[in-house]
Amino acid sequence: MRVSCRIFNTTFNPNGERTGNKILRERLKGPTLLEYYPKEQFSMREFVRGFPDLGISDEKEEYRVQQVEEHKLRGKGKPKKYKLGRERTAGKNKKKRK
Amino acid sequence: MPPLKGNFLSAGKPTHKLACFVQARTLRDAYKREQFAKFEVERKALRYIIRSNQFTPRQKTEAQLQLTQLPVSSQPTKIKNRCTVGGRGRSILREFKMGRFPFRLAALAGELPGVKKASW
Repeated sequence: MRVSCRIFNTTFNPNGERTGNKILRERLKGPTLLEYYPKEQFSMREFVRGFPDLGISDEKEEYRVQQVEEHKLRGKGKPKKYKLGRERTAGKNKKKRK
Repeated sequence: MPPLKGNFLSAGKPTHKLACFVQARTLRDAYKREQFAKFEVERKALRYIIRSNQFTPRQKTEAQLQLTQLPVSSQPTKIKNRCTVGGRGRSILREFKMGRFPFRLAALAGELPGVKKASW
């Protein structure tokens, strides 16, 4: 039996012990499971920028820009930036001294 | 032995953007898939130790404990197929990756090759 196993390259396991090779024989499932949801290859913005000749426009982006402009007209644009760093601290110190 | 910590489902986002219908639950599922792929080899090695008789019982129990300590999000049973059109989690046709209703609409519109409405 042992010799035949060696010749035909099969495993010698007369007692039928559990070797766990079943688990090693299984294929990896991860790659196939990852494929379920399609991945975004490029965003709409990249596509529009990459092919300006096609005359395609990003509707969502256009709508957003339009909204921003409307907000600006209504005085609801982005707020003024606060002064940062020295300018801000310098002003504070002067007030304190007075 | 130190007390075992409770192992909870960790939240996360997939590394890639999805090109299908995006919903918090689809994102969560995509994350779980990535986590499973990440820990798959480790999980497999531990499972091999547990199943084979070449190791001592102590080694096996240690492997079992380690297997339970892997992140919950990397468990294969947590993965759930979701509809890529509407994000539905139930009654998904695996071949088309769609829920029953988007499938019906697409099939009636003739967008799925080889799918025909049965009548007899």
